[in-house]
Amino acid sequence: MKTIKLMGSTALSVLLALGPVAAQVTSLGAPEGQVNIVAWPGYIERGETDATFDWVTKFEAASGCKVNVKTANTSDEMVALMNEGGFDLVTASGDASLRLVAGKRVQPINIDLIPSWSTVDERLKTASWHTVGGVHYGVPYMWGPNVLMYNTEVFKEAPTSWNVVFEEMTLPDGQSNKGRVQAYDGPIHVADAAQYLMFHKPDLGITSPYELNDAQYAAALDLLRVQRTLTSRYWHDAFIQMDDFKNEGVVASGSWPFQVNLLKAEGQPIASTIPQEGATGWADTTMMHVDAANPTCSYLWMEHSLSSNLQSDLAVWFGANPSVPAACTDGRGMLDAAGCTANGLDDFEKIRFWTTPVSNCSQGDGACVPYYRWVSDYIGVIGGR
Amino acid sequence: MTAAVEFSNVTRHFGAVRAVDGVDFTIAEGSFFAMLGPSGSGKTTCLRLISGFEKPTGGRIRIFGEDVSEVPPHLRNVNTVFQDYALFPHMNVADNVAYGLMVKGMARAKRMRRAEEMLALVKLDGYGGRKPAQLSGGQRQRVALARALVNEPRVLLLDEPLGALDLKLREAMQDELKALQQRLGITFVFVTHDQHEALSMADQLAVFNEGQIAQIGTPEDIYARPATRFVADFVGSSNVLPPEVTHALGGPLAWASLRPEAMHLHTSEGARLMGEVNSLRYLGGATRVSLRLMAAEGGAEVSVLVPAGQTLPLVGSTVGLGFDQTALHVMERA
Amino acid sequence: MSATLATRGLGDKLTGLFWRKPNLLLMLLLMPPLIWLGLVYLGSLAALLVQSFYSIDEFSGVVVPEFTLRTYGELFRAQNMDIILRTLMMSASVTIGCAVLAFPIAYFAARYARGPWKAAFYLGVMLPLWSSYLVKIYAWKLILAKEGIIGWAAGATGTTPILEAVLSIPGIGGNSLSTSFLGTWMVFVYVWLPYMILPMQASLERVPQSMLEASADLGASRAQTFRTVVLPLALPGVIAGSIFTFSLTMGDYIIPQIVGTSARFIGLAVYQLQGTAGNIPLAAAFAVVPIVIMVIYLMLAKRAGAFDAL
Repeated sequence: MKTIKLMGSTALSVLLALGPVAAQVTSLGAPEGQVNIVAWPGYIERGETDATFDWVTKFEAASGCKVNVKTANTSDEMVALMNEGGFDLVTASGDASLRLVAGKRVQPINIDLIPSWSTVDERLKTASWHTVGGVHYGVPYMWGPNVLMYNTEVFKEAPTSWNVVFEEMTLPDGQSNKGRVQAYDGPIHVADAAQYLMFHKPDLGITSPYELNDAQYAAALDLLRVQRTLTSRYWHDAFIQMDDFKNEGVVASGSWPFQVNLLKAEGQPIASTIPQEGATGWADTTMMHVDAANPTCSYLWMEHSLSSNLQSDLAVWFGANPSVPAACTDGRGMLDAAGCTANGLDDFEKIRFWTTPVSNCSQGDGACVPYYRWVSDYIGVIGGR
Repeated sequence: MTAAVEFSNVTRHFGAVRAVDGVDFTIAEGSFFAMLGPSGSGKTTCLRLISGFEKPTGGRIRIFGEDVSEVPPHLRNVNTVFQDYALFPHMNVADNVAYGLMVKGMARAKRMRRAEEMLALVKLDGYGGRKPAQLSGGQRQRVALARALVNEPRVLLLDEPLGALDLKLREAMQDELKALQQRLGITFVFVTHDQHEALSMADQLAVFNEGQIAQIGTPEDIYARPATRFVADFVGSSNVLPPEVTHALGGPLAWASLRPEAMHLHTSEGARLMGEVNSLRYLGGATRVSLRLMAAEGGAEVSVLVPAGQTLPLVGSTVGLGFDQTALHVMERA
Repeated sequence: MSATLATRGLGDKLTGLFWRKPNLLLMLLLMPPLIWLGLVYLGSLAALLVQSFYSIDEFSGVVVPEFTLRTYGELFRAQNMDIILRTLMMSASVTIGCAVLAFPIAYFAARYARGPWKAAFYLGVMLPLWSSYLVKIYAWKLILAKEGIIGWAAGATGTTPILEAVLSIPGIGGNSLSTSFLGTWMVFVYVWLPYMILPMQASLERVPQSMLEASADLGASRAQTFRTVVLPLALPGVIAGSIFTFSLTMGDYIIPQIVGTSARFIGLAVYQLQGTAGNIPLAAAFAVVPIVIMVIYLMLAKRAGAFDAL
């Protein structure tokens, strides 16, 4: 899957205030013959990795639009590619989407030209990571939670709290969790700690794990320092984490449904849960370049991206949740209701989606610790300080 | 007199190559011993057998009576002046000279004083602070000498030490080395392929050929009475006469040598020996005349040294030859 | 006469021009690489330096292009000093490890190996360089894993207590070799070893045999010869090798990502600061650290006489 990295650009809020509203497409012309998309690896499959996962070939035949995909591994890369230009669409994560809007690299979307818009999950239609000032800048694509992955031989029953990765304790198999848990090797993990504190230390007054004042932030770092003593290695690459669960004796860690599904498929004793404190998560949006050369094909693809069979197959392939709830139940793809539940569809309310921490937050202008400090302090915590 | 070095039937083979093949000799203590021979004759290997850098394939080597077959180089009381000097480039001259004392653990101040004394001995006082790369070839040679002598060896080995020097410097160094050896009274073993050097410096001389000693003796012995054709030819470019020619000259039917300087030319009438002049070679102090003896005398090639100032024959002319009968040396072996 | 001159073609005339003005030809030949070196190579280095004198605005997170030493001051914050010291310690210990391992190999190759042995030596040293760097590191991760080859071998030979004892050493130990500094060190030593062996072997080969014989002749034991002659004469090679191992370790950001405790090294910090944090000035300041360290290192090496035998 993707190594989601976030860019600490507090400039966002300043730029957003300017309120860019570019002209949007009002009607579709003839298809231009192609569409160029910047996407996460695995997001747009034409059956080359696995023949059963193909949601491009039929679209090309039906629309006459050839799909050209440029994969990008980080949000920064996506932003850079969109700044260079020459692309029509991008599958941007929550931390990249607002930067693209602020930088005026994407244009508003005319939802009237996308008939399937009505099928989009109500909870996503006006999500803050693509809707600015009531204007839609994209079409929701996929979302997923950061779940707690665990070894079922150690945990006969699913752990109910994230404390297994945050505090030293004896696990159900009678041994300490020291050296047997992992955490995400990205500063955004500070939010996971904040979310844990939000539940267990209400007197800190945390309202959002992405908006922390100095005291709340310090408490989160203290918790992470405890975690450092339990963690022998942090994970940043999905496949390395899978390795560590298989041969490093790791038994619990925050993770993505992607790894959980792959390990289960290999027959490993692995399961996942969203504990009582809730979870952080990611949500991606298909956005259209402000100078898109192929607007008609772009709109056709956005419409296609919401078709329930695509959403269904992609959700299975990626271990994520569809933006179109019908995909869970209408049987047009490989997904079923149980799969959606496994991937966390019902936990939407428990999930706090990744957003870039900025200093001007709901607690006041300059009240919150901005992302670049998260970066340097998390480096210090991992370094044992 | 005790024997400084003694070789008994020593051999050293490199695979199929017999570099040293059954060599016996004894070097008397305090003598200046030269090992002479063309390259590949085994003389350098013999030197390295003494220093310990080569181990004998067979035979026995004794140094002052001690069998050294189990003694590594650094424990032998012999020191070497290497052909390329092998000065340590990262040390200055004083440190180079004091090296042998340093590895023995002598205090720095003391060994530096000794080094300065040794440098004075080889007339390099004041050069201690320089690096070897800043010295001339002759100076490096002296440093190498001082470095080898600082350990007060009982035997000093010199491996073609003058080979890299120009003629004038070489002659000066020859005198110095000889004087030094007499002053110190220690045994010098000297390897060279230059017969003049060997003849002028050595008390005793061993001529090597193909891994064996062709002759051993004083320089006068070797020069005047070469034992074999090889020795006669290699030491002083003597005329080597086949048995029939020796016989025709009044000697026995055996190989003999006749020094070019022991012969003279005169007009052809009435001469016992006649020859036809082949070529002339001007040598400065003399001219070497090559001639072919008349058929009656066996047709051999001989050379005659004509001192400067005498009339030279023309190439192609026939001349008469005279010689000192006592100079005709009949060789024991062929 | 004029007829002869008329037959000279353009090629001959050019040849003549270059013969008369050899500097012109030299200049033409050197121009492209000099432009590359001057503009692209040194230019980007200069750009890096300039960036390091900018700072990031605390409030908005955007780079302020005004000269300041504040970013360098950031380097002295505790967690950043940790990174620098950690990287220095790792680079130094990797260099020492490589030198100790490489010396016997290089010595054998330089003084004893002949013919097929020499070929086998070169093949053995170069072979690891033919495979992908990433593949090697992932392979090492599996070798060093808790349930990997070393752990298995320790179990099979009953030496698990020894492995555990080593892993319990504070500071370098960890849960398993693959999650410890010791493991990171082992992989670094493996990956950079050829860069130490080859220059070492080249310098040892240049020490004449007669130098060693002279030393033994003067009464030095093998150990003394090694210390006073071989080592000083081989030092330029050791220094050359150590420059490789030291700077490569200092700049690497892949190995500590895959094997180790996740604690940052300079390379990793640069990668993260410029990539995800958008803090280009601090990344640039971090990138200057290895340059400064290498300059100091070379100066110390020069003072220690490492280049006297060149």
